[in-house]
Amino acid sequence: MRASFDAEMRAAGLSLAGRDYELLFAMWTEHRPQREALRAAVPMPDEEPDA
Amino acid sequence: MSADTLCDLDLSGVADAIHGGKASSVEVTEAYLRRIERHDRVLKAYITVMADRALARARTADEEIRRGARRGPLHGVPLALKDLVAIAGVRMTAGSRVMTDHVSERDADVTERLHAAGAVILGKLSMRECAFGRPVVDGAFPTGRNPWDVTREPAGSSSGSGVAVAAGLCAGALGSDTGGSIRGPAARCGIVGVKPTYGLVSRRGVVALSWSLDHVGPMTRSVRDAAVLLQAIAGHDPGDPSTRHAQVTDYTAELEAGARGIKLGLLRRFYLDSPGLHAEVKSAALAAFDELKRQGATIEDVDAPTLDLAGAIWVTMLSEVYELHRETIRDQPQNFGEGIRTRIYMGALVTAADFQRGQRLRARLRREIMALFEGVDALVFPGHAAPAQRFEDIATGQIVVPGSRYTNVWNLLGLPAVVFPCGFSRDGLPVAIQIVGRPFDEATVFRIARAYERATDWHTKRPNPEAWTLTS
Repeated sequence: MRASFDAEMRAAGLSLAGRDYELLFAMWTEHRPQREALRAAVPMPDEEPDA
Repeated sequence: MSADTLCDLDLSGVADAIHGGKASSVEVTEAYLRRIERHDRVLKAYITVMADRALARARTADEEIRRGARRGPLHGVPLALKDLVAIAGVRMTAGSRVMTDHVSERDADVTERLHAAGAVILGKLSMRECAFGRPVVDGAFPTGRNPWDVTREPAGSSSGSGVAVAAGLCAGALGSDTGGSIRGPAARCGIVGVKPTYGLVSRRGVVALSWSLDHVGPMTRSVRDAAVLLQAIAGHDPGDPSTRHAQVTDYTAELEAGARGIKLGLLRRFYLDSPGLHAEVKSAALAAFDELKRQGATIEDVDAPTLDLAGAIWVTMLSEVYELHRETIRDQPQNFGEGIRTRIYMGALVTAADFQRGQRLRARLRREIMALFEGVDALVFPGHAAPAQRFEDIATGQIVVPGSRYTNVWNLLGLPAVVFPCGFSRDGLPVAIQIVGRPFDEATVFRIARAYERATDWHTKRPNPEAWTLTS
């Protein structure tokens, strides 16, 4: 988990330490189920936002 | 009329008093200013009180009304604005140290419209930091205390707007709503809160949070007041492209038409059967639905399966918030409070693919909900998950608070939504229901809410000022 989080932080250009790092890690962990649900929900080809 | 009697009136009552000659705008303005002076040390509804400006505008209003040059129902009526709505020459902080010295150069579009309507602006109201922070009870920008129990928070982010209206520190207020920031405080403070259709009210001159989700709307003590205030601020503004298709109708014309013949859809599975719904909110909501049926509405259960993904689609907000604050948080992270700083950083971790997936699922959700409107005139459900919490019980580390499902779905879809009181918990805390309508059909939403309101007296209840004290 920590390794995935650190990799995402680097990809996003974030460099945090101490309490900011720990708080973001906790929030990222809490948010994982929502993100997995998002990635698992495959839209139909015609499901596009209105212009 | 005594000062406290004036402050207990709703907006329409204040307008009637002024326009019927029972009180001048100056007398009403002075009554509110005295009440703010007396109670705001505890309630913390205001960041900036504009006493001199307000009295000057009140004198002008009185003079115009005396001359017979009445501008409309808001003429001379004292209002207040969330401190992210610009007033030329007045400090605007958005409740954040990031903007602590900012003074607006020109009025927001909504401010211009209120001034044109002759309203008196009493001041700028407290709020959660940048409309996305956590509640705080100290520091430079405390978020306000709930007038029904000052040990509890009023919800946010338009916390000061909710507090000021409920406590009679203004006749009506504007708030902003990105995921429930008008409707949350309205529900917890026992007042009416309106998130209009996306694109009906301009955001020019309003500090942004999330461009596709931000809405500005009224917070008042009655449905009629909300309709009157929305009428004043709605309409196309070339300075906000989202308003280019704004459709403004007369929001009071059908207000008293009742609920007979209205078809309502109850989102039972997603809202009423949600395990997070407080039992007392649920029972009050069920009683309110029964009342709507007695008033002639029919209610049938409806559903949209993609509602279950609304929390996941919320990456939209995280991403838009980060895009907005990216440079500021890089340059001065120390000036953001800890709660909002973490939330902003979370947006950096949303990938482009996640954001795009969110937009496509958002389209699916919109399609499902719009299909429901082929069979019903409006949707109905509880206005919030639970009554106001004690400050110490509020979790500080969450991105999306439990219960936000009651409001944030309707920001994603941009549909008009009104929250209004439907009772009290055993602890004496307000509870509410919510009506959502078709795009730009605020008139029907107001009509339904008013049909309920006139059959009940919840909206006439006032919190007790003698309880606005802190023991420590």
